[in-house]
Amino acid sequence: MVRWPHDLGLQIRMAGTLFLLALVYFVFIAVLAYIGVETLLLLVIVTIILLLQYFFSDKITLWSMGARQVSEQEEPHLYETLTRLCTIAGIPRPRLAIVDNNIPNAFATGRNQKNSVIAVTSGLRTMLNQEELEAVLAHELSHVRNRDVMVITLASFISTAAWFIFRSFLISGTGQLRGGRGGRQNLLFIIPLIAAAVWIISFLLIKALSRYREFAADRGSAVLTGQPSHLASALMKISGLMARVPTNDLRKVEGMNAFFIIPAISGSSIFNLFSTHPTVEQRLAALEQIEQELGRHGT
Amino acid sequence: MGLRETLDAVLGATRLPKSNLDKLFAISTASITMQSELDLKPAPAAGICFKPVESSRFDAAKNEIGELLRFSSKESGTTFRIETDEYRFIWVILTDPDFEDLVAGIHLVSLTLIEKGFGAYLLCAIFRFGNGKPVYWIYNFKQGRYYPFIPAADKTRDNASEFRIRSRMEKELPIENDVERWYPLWGIPL
Repeated sequence: MVRWPHDLGLQIRMAGTLFLLALVYFVFIAVLAYIGVETLLLLVIVTIILLLQYFFSDKITLWSMGARQVSEQEEPHLYETLTRLCTIAGIPRPRLAIVDNNIPNAFATGRNQKNSVIAVTSGLRTMLNQEELEAVLAHELSHVRNRDVMVITLASFISTAAWFIFRSFLISGTGQLRGGRGGRQNLLFIIPLIAAAVWIISFLLIKALSRYREFAADRGSAVLTGQPSHLASALMKISGLMARVPTNDLRKVEGMNAFFIIPAISGSSIFNLFSTHPTVEQRLAALEQIEQELGRHGT
Repeated sequence: MGLRETLDAVLGATRLPKSNLDKLFAISTASITMQSELDLKPAPAAGICFKPVESSRFDAAKNEIGELLRFSSKESGTTFRIETDEYRFIWVILTDPDFEDLVAGIHLVSLTLIEKGFGAYLLCAIFRFGNGKPVYWIYNFKQGRYYPFIPAADKTRDNASEFRIRSRMEKELPIENDVERWYPLWGIPL
């Protein structure tokens, strides 16, 4: 049995964040029910939107990033690198896509292991050596394995609903959400305030969650490749170059906000190496830690 | 998907599946059928491929494998060499005209890695058959199953022959059912 260093602290923080989210959502729904707001239609609409996003996340993301899916014949080397990682991880192999862009980056998308696509930019391939490229693929593969699209989509569900409620109040006063029978109509005015609070709190919690999931994917890459130092050097190379490239291009992803309409979940289907928040310094420190654990305990 | 895997995924914990040696020896009896019914003789070489790990314990395990092989070669006459391929994976290539000794050697290498705690990093074992065009049986340690791989020109593969050989051998060899897992390996160094 391989005894790989587990980061219990990270898992506790992640579980804690999920628990807080659930708590906020529970309180929100309880308040809505107490006041007697008709939320059924709203929940149906949000469910449909999220389901659409969930099922088409791979196509939407690939399309908006200008990624082109490639076959095994076109990219035998990249595919074999991925194949070997998947064989060791014992999971089905996702498809690969290439983005013709000089900025080194990679992302994973798709709702489950079989429907996932991992995309890398042409800049990433030219900049990294074999081991570093493998480490980045392993990082993305960990996102796929951890079902990050599904986790974040689910985590964003009520947050999205809260945002919709807040918006509909802004647009039409208390209009669209009529109080149900026997409700406490006099309390309707606090709903937009509560909705806004729920949206802001859950937005921050989801951001924290996605940062934790970046750390988890880094750790997953270290475990899968058995070589944390290569991911570290890939991160340093990429960030070193990125410092000299205007960041505007990288923020292209932000354009997705407009596309998805819903800011809180716009990032959920894209796990960019860099667009989510942990700084490179933090990630390098975490990888350093894993290397030390390896040195101390072996595996 | 089991409860534990679901929990691991939700909390982002990575566990690698263990390697399974149970069915590795099935190739011994299968080789006789390969020879008698398909006229495919085992080549005098076999290989095992694994991923290096950044750890002094791994280096020690690799050295130990070298010593064990040197030691056993005195009896069996199996020679070996260790290579690193373009994907930076390590290959141990064994050469011996006796097929049983080849299987024993592959078993020795994989067992040593497993005992030292690096079994998760075993990629595959490969047995070659045929004199001219090679027919490979690849053992996937994670699935504990074999699958055929017959490369053709320009990184294509001879699927027709692979399916034919599967239907002839499926009674004797545990063959991977999921054809999507029949991953090719290009540039096999044997």
